[in-house]
Amino acid sequence: MDYFIVSLLNGLIYGLLLFMVSAGLTLVFGMMGILNFAHASFYMLGAYAAYALQPVIGFWWAVVVATVLVGGVGVVTERYFLRPVHKYGHAHELLLTFGLSFIIAELVKLFFGNYPVNYRVPQALSFSAFHVGPSAYPFYRLLIGLVAIAMFVLIYLLLTRTRVGIIVRAAIRRPAMAGALGHNVPVVFMAVFGVGAALAGLAGAIAGAFYTTSPNMAIELAVMMFVVVVIGGLGSLEGALLASLIIGLSTSFSVGVDVSLAQVLAYVGMGDWARGIGGLLTLKLSSLSGTIPYALMLLVLLIRPYGLMGAKE
Amino acid sequence: MNRRFLLVGLLVVIALVAAPLVMSQSLINAGIQMLIASLFACAFSLLCGQAGMLSFGHSAFFGAGAFATVHAMDAMGGAGLLPTPFMPLVGAVTGLLVGLVAGWFATKRTGVYFAMITLAIGELLYALAPHLSGWFGGEAGLSTMRMPAFGLSFADNVQVYYLTLAWVLLCLGLLYLFMRTPLGRVALGLRENTHRMRFFGYNVHVASTLVFAISTMFSGVAGALQAINIESANYVIFNLDLSAQVLLNSYIGGVTYFLGPAVGAALMSFFGYVVSDLTTSWLLYQGLLFVLVMLFMPRGIAGLVHAVAQALRRCGFARLWRAFALYLGATALLVAGTTFLVELLQRLFSQDYRALSQIGGNAWPDIPLFGASWAPLSVLTWLLPVLLLTAGIWLLARAARHWRRALALAAPDDDSPATTGGGRLVSGASS
Repeated sequence: MDYFIVSLLNGLIYGLLLFMVSAGLTLVFGMMGILNFAHASFYMLGAYAAYALQPVIGFWWAVVVATVLVGGVGVVTERYFLRPVHKYGHAHELLLTFGLSFIIAELVKLFFGNYPVNYRVPQALSFSAFHVGPSAYPFYRLLIGLVAIAMFVLIYLLLTRTRVGIIVRAAIRRPAMAGALGHNVPVVFMAVFGVGAALAGLAGAIAGAFYTTSPNMAIELAVMMFVVVVIGGLGSLEGALLASLIIGLSTSFSVGVDVSLAQVLAYVGMGDWARGIGGLLTLKLSSLSGTIPYALMLLVLLIRPYGLMGAKE
Repeated sequence: MNRRFLLVGLLVVIALVAAPLVMSQSLINAGIQMLIASLFACAFSLLCGQAGMLSFGHSAFFGAGAFATVHAMDAMGGAGLLPTPFMPLVGAVTGLLVGLVAGWFATKRTGVYFAMITLAIGELLYALAPHLSGWFGGEAGLSTMRMPAFGLSFADNVQVYYLTLAWVLLCLGLLYLFMRTPLGRVALGLRENTHRMRFFGYNVHVASTLVFAISTMFSGVAGALQAINIESANYVIFNLDLSAQVLLNSYIGGVTYFLGPAVGAALMSFFGYVVSDLTTSWLLYQGLLFVLVMLFMPRGIAGLVHAVAQALRRCGFARLWRAFALYLGATALLVAGTTFLVELLQRLFSQDYRALSQIGGNAWPDIPLFGASWAPLSVLTWLLPVLLLTAGIWLLARAARHWRRALALAAPDDDSPATTGGGRLVSGASS
């Protein structure tokens, strides 16, 4: 039971973190059709910026400044890199952001070294929130989840309850018409891109302290993020939330399950046969936990190729 | 034009055949790597440039070919139906089969979805491989031995070079011929307009899967050649790095031209070989080059050559030499400025430097670079790269003006505004 509660919480919070990053990606895609490969690099930049600033201005200010900085990087990326190549099509934009993510990773290696840096949860925040059975549950994990939820609520209210939100949604649905009504659509695009980047930066600044902060964190997350949006359906916020939670929960539960396919097959009298085959059939689920999201993605592609919540093509 | 093209091709082949006579051992090894990278890039570009499907997971098929070949080399021992020179066939078959399965999934979607699915398939293999030690040898990988065949020992790398060269030339020829087959023309159609292909009655999913499998088949051959060359395979081969390499190389070379990717891959792996001892930031330079190509030269090196040749035909060398000289000067300045800045920063932020400043007592010791020592706190140190870059950009602007003026003075040409570098790449893929 304890295992169940801890896994549930861990999975939920990892899922929320995934959502915090992939929300920006999905928003930008829905709006501009750009699949931003560098989005996860913004996440990494946020973590590294907060790590570098933390000793100077303290943890909270570091988080704030990192968020703003990464948002600025996002604005520059949109204005000076993506806009000039828009005319070549979306695949070209994807390639360009891929190149940018490559450069960002190499720059991070250049400045901070090709190894994980010692970015830690500040002393004041590393205490246990409550006990589950014998083990303490860290407060900081809850904080990550709370930040993600707060962000989701804020974005949701901003998009649905304010004038700015109306203009943004209009620019997403009918960019030409919104422009004809006198709204500066390119600026709206730039702002959304910047906000998406800032959110990824915020996620990085907060979560980097808890998970590892290394030059590989971007690509690891990028792949997971893409799995999220394929499962959820690109452009759908609800889909991204659902897929993030599914992936978070399935990864966190599978880590502790020591069952292999052979053991399952043994119930129907095929255990010896499966053990004879070996390979995939005798691997324990726990060692496969890293591959479950991909398997899920292939499954979704088979059944609903447009994603769980995506619009049918 | 075609005859001249053939002549150049023949000369290149002769040069490649004669090369081992004058090259050192390590250069021959680099040559093998270049050949393999070229074939891989061409196989990748068949999918990406011709059929407009952007794959981020091509290392999966390269790796599959490599591992299958290592297993086959172990099992056959160079005897029976598959002596060493025919081993790449194993890679081809494996690449084809794996590609058929993966392609069937991946081509269910087009455009950016396709890119993400291939990325995930590659990562799936990478995550799975270390756990399947029976197939992939776990963390340590697998190793094997090249067996002698047909009186050739394959003990030294000259013989491996010729084996690789023969296979790469054969495969490039086959790839070229494939583009002339009906399926090859369908591949172009897939890039240009999937919807119309569907209206014409083609089964787009099947056609895409077939093109995908052909591409992965040749990737498998490249992987097999790699396995024969290094006599081993490790699961790290499935890493995204290799997929990224082939993508960067192909686009830098010019993915829409048949030989562009081969040229790009050969150049990039040659530079990588040359500078790997000099700098730790080679990947950064490669990334910068890639982004610059994507921003300003979307047709890559091959497109640049094409544009220059066209401009020369229109205006003649006399009108253009000034612009060429300016472009060369600007490039030299920009390269010098960037290299200086990157290397300086790299040394300033390295662990060695921090250690040095702690033991030396001096917080900011001088940085030795390019035969001189530079004080990190001096303005001059930082002014130099800034000046180089500024001068480079200024020259670049002047060169562009000369270029435009020369072209404008020339007689207005028929159809092709190729000098602006515009044109569609794989834009037709998104639907």
